[in-house]
Amino acid sequence: MKYLGGLLMLAFLVISCNKEEKQEQSYLFNELDSAVTGVDFMNMVEDTPEHSIINYIYFYNGAGVAVGDINNDGLKDLFFVSNEHDNKLYLNKGNMKFEDISASANINGNSDWNTGVTMVDINADGYLDIYVCAVSGLLDFKGHNELYINNGDNTFSEESSSYGLDFKGYSTQSYFFDYDKDGDLDMYLVNHAVHTNLSHGKASLRNERAPLVGDVLFKNDDGSFIDVSEDANIYGGVNGYGLSATIADFDNDGWDDIYVCNDFHEDDYFYVNNHDGTFTETLGSKFNTISRFSMGSDAADINNDGYQDLITLDMLPWDEKVLKETEGDDAMFNMQVHLSNLGYKDQYSRNMLQISHQGQYFHEEALKNQIADTDWSWAPLFADFDNDGQQDLFISNGIPKRPNGLDFKKYVSSAFKGKSEAEGLNWLYNAIGEMPDGNVSNQIYKGINGDFSNKTGEWISNVPKISNASIYTDLDNDGDLDIVTNNFNQVASIYQNNTSETNSINVSLKYKDQNIEGLGTKVELYNDRERQLKQVFKSRGFMSSIDGSLHFGLDSSIKVDSLVITWPNNKIQTVINPTINSSIQLVYDESNIKDGQESARQETAIFEKSNLIDFTHVEDRYNDFVEEKLIPYKVSTMGPAVAVGDVDNNGFEDIYIGGASGKSGQLFMNSGNDFKSVAISSFAADAAYEDNSATFFDADMDGDLDLYIGSGISEINAETLNYDRLYINNNGDFIRGTNAIPQNPMVTSTVNSYDYDQDGDMDLFVGIRSNPNSFGKMEASYILKNDGKGSFSKDPNFVLNGMIMDAEWTDIDNDGIKDLLVATEWDQPKVYLNKNASLDLINLPQELSGLWQSITVADVDNDGDQDILLGNLGLNSKFNLYFDGPLQLYYSDFDENGVNETMIAYNRNGTYYPLNTKDELAAQMNIINKIYTSHAAYAGKSMVDALKSGTLKKATKYEAATLTSGYLHNDNNEFNTFVPFDSSLQLGPIYDFESFELGNNKQLLITGNTYRFNTYHGSYSSLKGYFWDVSNDTIVPASNKGLDPINEQIKDVVIVDMKDNRVLLVVANNDSVKSYQFDK
Amino acid sequence: MRFTYRFLIITLLILQNCNTKTEPIEISATDYHKAVDKLTEIMVHDIFSPPVASRLYVYPNVAAYEVLNQNDDYFKSLSGQLKDLTISETTGETQANKELAALIAYMDVAKELVFSKEMMTDFRDSLYAEWELKNADSFLKSKSYGLSISDQVIKWMNKDGYAESRTLPDYNIYDKSPARWEPTPPAYMKGIEPHWNTIRPFALDSASQFKPIRHPDFSLEEDTPFYKELKEVYDLNNEIREKGDESVEIAIARFWDCNPFVSVNKGHFMFAEKKITPGAHWIGICKIACQQTEADFSRTVFAYTKTSMAIADAFISCWDEKYRSNLVRPETLINKYIDLDWAPILQTPPFPEYTSGHSVVSGASSEVLTDIFGDNFYFEDTTELPYGLPMRVFESFRAAAQEAAISRLYGGIHYKAAVVEGLSQGIKIGELSNSKISFFKEKKLASTGQ
Repeated sequence: MKYLGGLLMLAFLVISCNKEEKQEQSYLFNELDSAVTGVDFMNMVEDTPEHSIINYIYFYNGAGVAVGDINNDGLKDLFFVSNEHDNKLYLNKGNMKFEDISASANINGNSDWNTGVTMVDINADGYLDIYVCAVSGLLDFKGHNELYINNGDNTFSEESSSYGLDFKGYSTQSYFFDYDKDGDLDMYLVNHAVHTNLSHGKASLRNERAPLVGDVLFKNDDGSFIDVSEDANIYGGVNGYGLSATIADFDNDGWDDIYVCNDFHEDDYFYVNNHDGTFTETLGSKFNTISRFSMGSDAADINNDGYQDLITLDMLPWDEKVLKETEGDDAMFNMQVHLSNLGYKDQYSRNMLQISHQGQYFHEEALKNQIADTDWSWAPLFADFDNDGQQDLFISNGIPKRPNGLDFKKYVSSAFKGKSEAEGLNWLYNAIGEMPDGNVSNQIYKGINGDFSNKTGEWISNVPKISNASIYTDLDNDGDLDIVTNNFNQVASIYQNNTSETNSINVSLKYKDQNIEGLGTKVELYNDRERQLKQVFKSRGFMSSIDGSLHFGLDSSIKVDSLVITWPNNKIQTVINPTINSSIQLVYDESNIKDGQESARQETAIFEKSNLIDFTHVEDRYNDFVEEKLIPYKVSTMGPAVAVGDVDNNGFEDIYIGGASGKSGQLFMNSGNDFKSVAISSFAADAAYEDNSATFFDADMDGDLDLYIGSGISEINAETLNYDRLYINNNGDFIRGTNAIPQNPMVTSTVNSYDYDQDGDMDLFVGIRSNPNSFGKMEASYILKNDGKGSFSKDPNFVLNGMIMDAEWTDIDNDGIKDLLVATEWDQPKVYLNKNASLDLINLPQELSGLWQSITVADVDNDGDQDILLGNLGLNSKFNLYFDGPLQLYYSDFDENGVNETMIAYNRNGTYYPLNTKDELAAQMNIINKIYTSHAAYAGKSMVDALKSGTLKKATKYEAATLTSGYLHNDNNEFNTFVPFDSSLQLGPIYDFESFELGNNKQLLITGNTYRFNTYHGSYSSLKGYFWDVSNDTIVPASNKGLDPINEQIKDVVIVDMKDNRVLLVVANNDSVKSYQFDK
Repeated sequence: MRFTYRFLIITLLILQNCNTKTEPIEISATDYHKAVDKLTEIMVHDIFSPPVASRLYVYPNVAAYEVLNQNDDYFKSLSGQLKDLTISETTGETQANKELAALIAYMDVAKELVFSKEMMTDFRDSLYAEWELKNADSFLKSKSYGLSISDQVIKWMNKDGYAESRTLPDYNIYDKSPARWEPTPPAYMKGIEPHWNTIRPFALDSASQFKPIRHPDFSLEEDTPFYKELKEVYDLNNEIREKGDESVEIAIARFWDCNPFVSVNKGHFMFAEKKITPGAHWIGICKIACQQTEADFSRTVFAYTKTSMAIADAFISCWDEKYRSNLVRPETLINKYIDLDWAPILQTPPFPEYTSGHSVVSGASSEVLTDIFGDNFYFEDTTELPYGLPMRVFESFRAAAQEAAISRLYGGIHYKAAVVEGLSQGIKIGELSNSKISFFKEKKLASTGQ
């Protein structure tokens, strides 16, 4: 008790400190003084040898908070869960004053370790009941989940057993919803696993239900809850580290779906409701990138497209020092291969913002929105905090001690030798104090048309603390949403929202039967601005539940045209012109409803899937990252080569698709109706080559098309197997020419033919990405001049050293002669005007260095001339998190051992820091371990300070000043203005712009994605393909017109005319070719 | 500033004062053992892989040995005997206290090899201070002589291919052949030192001089030799586990574990449980033998030098084979094809299976130690006491080597072929070491040991 007093004292001190700061700065949200509000709850958790982070991995997860009007007086009351002490219930007395009625309410809790809480009217008697989860059966924790039935007089009776809800296990949180549409509330219970030898096994373990640990779906059978998990296809394995779920009707089919966040290696689950009491788990096909240590989650329609989007939280720190002191995704290099062998998906330790495409698939864009790194984060809450009609985002944060500190791991290792299990655990317990602290400020973001702007420090204080469970609600009925957090060993926070001069409307619902709160009801609000969609569910964020009303911000709009309510039975009721700036209750009115209709938003599919080309590209096992350990991405997986040309002169274009090293390329002959693969013996003989790029052209002037193939890195990286090849067409057979072209051992990225010197024969531009053994060195690309007989030599007048990714001959100045466009990485794109066989480099805007992946032309601004389209890396990469200035790449022999290394530095507030961790650098440079014996010593070191002094000056430096894709506006053949593309086209790297016409409209199909990056980044596969109708300047997802969403790393999209229609081929790295037919 | 100056002046006064009394600096074998132990301690702290650790042991010993034996009546310099090693132009040998100089050279080389250099320099500086107080003149002269040799050893050491090997490729984990080694639970560390065969050896002509016969051909057919050996590991481990923690097999397996990479899972944590390496264990045995025979300083340095060279060669030879055969560990196959939840009694170390490193090292060490101290040399092996393991008693070095080798089968981390062939590979290395490098000016005296 003395201890408690001390803590309270401390808390008061903290509060008074905060107070002083408040005087200096005012925030949108005031954090209220507990002495004034009367809410003095503190989730007090004490490390003891019996219970600590050492023997319970979720010891620092905190406990829940729930809000709801338990006495129906119009004021929302607060319930706080205490992990190991008494829960508390505070009655709202108005004006932000609360009364602690815990002593008389009988809600203290009988379990030894309490977790999440949900307020829900389980018996539909008009009074909110309270369901509190518990961990039982772990360590010496006893008890069970408890259901406090509201007696209607501010007292409660624990009746979990009579409802069948006295579950004993490792529960995190309960989610009430009516999954089978029988009019009563069922419940999905998220339970968590703990580490055992078994829990690290195969992914398929999720199929075997494990007691205590596996999630449970309870069906409400006349007031009695029955476990139907097995029948409903709900996973419940020993590897299910469930920390939260989000319930929403993601696909608007009228039936509620479930997303479950799992910590550690287990994938998250996405259960689609089958309308028959069962679910189908479809995470693998609907999501590409998911968070690894998934914690809290929430869903909301953040882009006002009528479909709910999803956020899942993780623990990527933003502080430079913390980043380098704690374990990150770079350490996953081997582990990820292992986990993938066990059947798990690649996962990355960062927050994920999953944008719904009509619930059919999701693309991830937290990096683009810069909300990916909020540190040790628990509860995300989407809500309109400033009443501007856009969803904002609050994220609670912090952990008392960071168990993933790298120096701590080393410290433990040093002292741990020779200890028995029990001694070891005891020793570890005593070492808890050595773990790095994890106090971090909560984060808040203002939503702006689907983007987010960080308002921490403006809307709320940025003072570090530890907040776990969180809710929003209008506590003072002033028309804006306040925030409440349950803090760890600190007094709970109430953030009072001071938004004014904007309008809002608060909608509560009264439904029927056993679901009188109307959980699952969707309300769409229409006004002069936009449509907003919200759905009623209680449990949101992390371990917490909000009240059942929906809060819509209206900004300055003074009128709501209508509210369209879709009730849980999918009947629709419409309210015209509801009163704004008020709380209104919508009551289900049988006489005033109509049947809902299936949402038919799908545009007509123009493209029809076909199976015209049977080709699968299979990458070889060459691994750049074991050869050069510090490089950010591979240059060995840039295929397959694609060449299009009418080889047999039958009027229809044929196609060559290259193989990766070890697999032969194939020639597909087009009859006008179909494609037939023809066997070419020289292609088979050269299967060991990696085909990166190819072009059909008449090399020897004999009237048929020959084939030049630019080679990448062969599987064994043998120099002669990296050479480019020229195949001469001999009556339809292709014979490899000898000595006609110079030997090229470099990584060829692009080959492009044109008679650039106008001497009547075809010449070639050969673009080089790099030396196979040295990522960071700029090598010479060249032009091969044809001597008129099919023999080629380098044009000595053309000099281009760079990292070339793409090139095109095209006439940009309308003089009838094609000019040369070149896309380069870590450099400016190059535009050469062709003046009488002299290629003159023209000036481009200075700041245009980038990671350019593709280049072409199109008149995208409809002014009659060709603009230069430039595909960059895009803004949805980890580089985007630290981009306060150009990205730098240094190339030098940093450790002076005769071999050059490549290092990347990023700019944060004007200072450059090395991207790599100490361990990564040390793997390539032994000297790093001698300079830095601890991670702390290295963490936070700038690029200049990190290495031996003077080292950096000697290095060659390249920059990427922009990662944005866009176009160079053609202004009378001058290209001085770079115009960024629409935000949707920044979701990933762009590898191809395919130009064609639909009707009379000019279209571009824009595709990309990459799987070339290391585990620090992960795959970037959010660019699912977009059609840009240039004539109408509209951009729509490719899936709207019948293409599958594109998850692969696209090499090329090709459109070929057939006799009766056209065919569109999508050619990707390490995947099968997809074909679609469409009308001419 | 002023304070510093004053402090310096006072210190200088004291030093001058001390210079007046000259006490002889006596360096004993115990001092050398302490320096070797210090190096072991730093290596355990820094976590070096077994091959790298073997390199760390050998060069400081060579430096100390050379300091002692440029013009010794009895021991012969290694200069000209080891590839590219020529010691020339030494300064002040005649005025130096050679034992002192040898110890100084040892520490000077050792500090260049570890990560936590300051741990070695702190140790050195406190000794320096002590010696300087005792006899500054002798100390400075000995230091100058010692460093003149260690400088040359460091230059030679730096050209052994180690620096170049740092930039060579990692082991490629993407190969899917079932016979090919892949990272093992629980930490799935990458393969350690895939290019250790590029390091310059000592007695060996080349890394592949004692290339062992090929391991039984990989097969998962039940009656093939390979599969039988796989099954043997599985069955034997289960049998031993059944016998329980008190069984002699488990005691043997744990005693010789010597895996510096053991990862431990506790709650949220996975971390390395630090241990010494196989090389360090045999260095420990060398120390025990020296102490037991009351070897003087010179003989102690000789014994460490000879043993550490054989160990270094053993790792070069063994790693050459490991990344030639790239054979998969039993744990990987058993988990895949026999028993998903099986784990070996010892944790599988992070490199390919064939041959067993501990077997090669033990074979080589036991041969050279037998050459130095004689066969049937009874000793009590207390090397693992600081790591929480009890003492074990052996009748001879060779008996210890036999046990070390078989311990890997008991531990469930090697097939029998790796143990048998590894031991024989090691014995050949030890024999070569004994015959090829002469430490004595008169070979006759060598075998009698005195």
